[in-house]
Amino acid sequence: MPVMEATKRMVRINGCVASAQAAKYADVDVIAAYPIRPYTATMMALAQMVANGELDAEYIVADSEHSQLSIAHGAASAGARVFTGSSGVGVQFAYELYSPISGSRMPVQMMIADRTLDPPGDFGSEHTDALSTRDMGWLMGWSCDAQEAFDNHLIAYRIGEDRRVLLPQMVCQDGFFVSHITGDVELPDMGQVREFLPPYKHPYPLDPRHPVSHGPQIMPEQGPPLQLERARAMEESMAVVEQAHEEFAQIFGRKYDPWLEEYKTDDAEVVFFLQGAHAVTAKFAIQHMRERGIKVGMVRLRTIRPYPTEQVRESLSKFKVVGVIETNMALGSVSSGGALYAEAAAALYEADKHPLVMSFMAGMGGEAIVLKEFYWMTEKMIEAQKRGKIEKRTHWVGFEH
Amino acid sequence: MATIEVQRQILPILESPNKGARFYNPELPQSEPFVPGHRTCAGCGPSIQYRMTSKAAGDNTILVGPTGCMYVANSSYLCTPYNVPWAHTQIGSSGSFTAGVSAAYEAMIRKGKWQGKFPNIICEAGDGSSSDIALASISGALYRNHDCLIICYDNEQYANTGIQASSRTPYGGMTTFSPPGPEVPEGKKLYPKDLARMMAAGHPHCYVGTASVGYPIDLMNKVRKGLNHKGAAFLMIYTPCQKGFVYETPRSIDLGRLVVECGLYPMWEWSPEKREYDYSFRPASMRPVSEYLKLQGRFGHLHAEHVANLQKFANRQWKMMGIQIPEALLLAEDAKNVTNMAAAAEAQAVAETV
Repeated sequence: MPVMEATKRMVRINGCVASAQAAKYADVDVIAAYPIRPYTATMMALAQMVANGELDAEYIVADSEHSQLSIAHGAASAGARVFTGSSGVGVQFAYELYSPISGSRMPVQMMIADRTLDPPGDFGSEHTDALSTRDMGWLMGWSCDAQEAFDNHLIAYRIGEDRRVLLPQMVCQDGFFVSHITGDVELPDMGQVREFLPPYKHPYPLDPRHPVSHGPQIMPEQGPPLQLERARAMEESMAVVEQAHEEFAQIFGRKYDPWLEEYKTDDAEVVFFLQGAHAVTAKFAIQHMRERGIKVGMVRLRTIRPYPTEQVRESLSKFKVVGVIETNMALGSVSSGGALYAEAAAALYEADKHPLVMSFMAGMGGEAIVLKEFYWMTEKMIEAQKRGKIEKRTHWVGFEH
Repeated sequence: MATIEVQRQILPILESPNKGARFYNPELPQSEPFVPGHRTCAGCGPSIQYRMTSKAAGDNTILVGPTGCMYVANSSYLCTPYNVPWAHTQIGSSGSFTAGVSAAYEAMIRKGKWQGKFPNIICEAGDGSSSDIALASISGALYRNHDCLIICYDNEQYANTGIQASSRTPYGGMTTFSPPGPEVPEGKKLYPKDLARMMAAGHPHCYVGTASVGYPIDLMNKVRKGLNHKGAAFLMIYTPCQKGFVYETPRSIDLGRLVVECGLYPMWEWSPEKREYDYSFRPASMRPVSEYLKLQGRFGHLHAEHVANLQKFANRQWKMMGIQIPEALLLAEDAKNVTNMAAAAEAQAVAETV
């Protein structure tokens, strides 16, 4: 197979194509596709790879996202390595399947290129689509560029397929900011991938030689032990997440902190706390503000499920003010803003020192967060630091002076 | 790419005169992939069908069970009636989950990750799943022609949830969602969705057929034809539900024959090779619909005009199959004659067809 001959090389591709490349390197068996922007480009690339004979996989054009995830569930139950994906309302259309897939402990992988939810139809990126499924038992995290997207797919398969974990994974990237912006990506040597990601073998597949029953009806008292097992698998995955990132660094030479990326935080007093692609712009803004002597930094959450509670508490409690950049909506929630605030604040509850925490609704509708908005948010954080308390929990950036 | 050729099973068709319509065959397979140990009701039509289907399929089989009676009443955690691999899926995922299992085996065998003959992959979906919530999912699986057999075990209602109307519930059928009352004396006002014909018309490359638990050999042969067909197959099988139809428990198989003899469940096969229907199945006799209706509490509220409407519906089915309709059945399209026929003396076969 041509893919087996591949040797390490640099290519310039966007996030969608990087995800497709990762699926190819993972030698997936079954792919379930359904079109919706912007993730579609991943499935377009995979369709071409199958047509070219670069990848031997069953490529299924499903009749809906609900069917996509059901196909993925069935194929994984039979013992295949499965790849699927979606965006925006497509992620929601498949919602019913998220709990059954994680509950049956099938390590299905789903690529998500974020898109706002309707109404009205908007192609831009908001994280609400994937975040709304965050408590369904899927491992979940965001990449901020195409290389990280490629790497995260391989790492996620490795974690999810580990017998100690056996959980599905959502490998997320911002629509357009990652999915459609090209970057330099190092495609690995196939030998590196084989060393890092062993062939998938589920312990209890649907195999006529060893009959098993998956998902029978239970009595109420039989539910809690199963739920506890799934909860434990999520908790215990943390050690596997760390191990996978360490081995990835050894084999591929790219080292990521599995939980948090900190940028210029050593002496920072105020920090942005965010996920995904806006971290790239944030870094430029921080560089400019640093030149003006402002002690601002950034903490990027790389993995939100499992949530790194200890790491977030330890990191954020070092600062005076934390500004959470949401890029998602959690209507009527504790901050009346996004979903990230509540969990960051909860993680800080047991800290000895508490920073002021405020929430910024920025990057909504898929708009870029421009430099002057980062400056404005920094000013709001510095004002709060001086005042010793926040003005209000949530600011809609661009709608206030 | 170096790939391994997928080997498929061919199951023998059972010998039986008149396409299995009349005779029981003692040469049945020994295999019992569906064993006792479930909680279905006495006389449960779907579980009788389940046993016949899985017996016909044999041990190299994987069963998919979307939500419905055959999930909830069959599988109890720590106690399973399935001797072959079985998986639950969501009620709207019948076709798609099954497609996933099938695709996985295509890829795994081809890529050398699983050795053996391609298993029979059978989905047992209720009529609520098949005709309503999973219609697109099943259509997708048939359209894409995954090697699998999707069965609609048709008990003409959502039985597991406590007897609600589905798109397959017959005209006049009482359910908790179609109760009769002074304003709606017939209960269900709509006629059933012609599901099997939709599947044949829309996916002519598939093997499609109808069957009934009243004709076990015919049912098992159709299962085997569906499995032998390389690609997707769909069967809609009449499976009475004692709880919803309200009849005497031992009469499940009788109803399975009467529904065909009364013209309310046309038996046919669609040949993907010839691209035509085969209507040559003939029940032993033809009877007025009242013979079938009067055994069931769900039709107990019907007036003569409603019975006449059902006779018109049945006569259209006979006509569609190209069968000449005896005069007695044509007369029964008139409510006045239905009233006369309600007497016990009229409860007899009106025509011999074989």
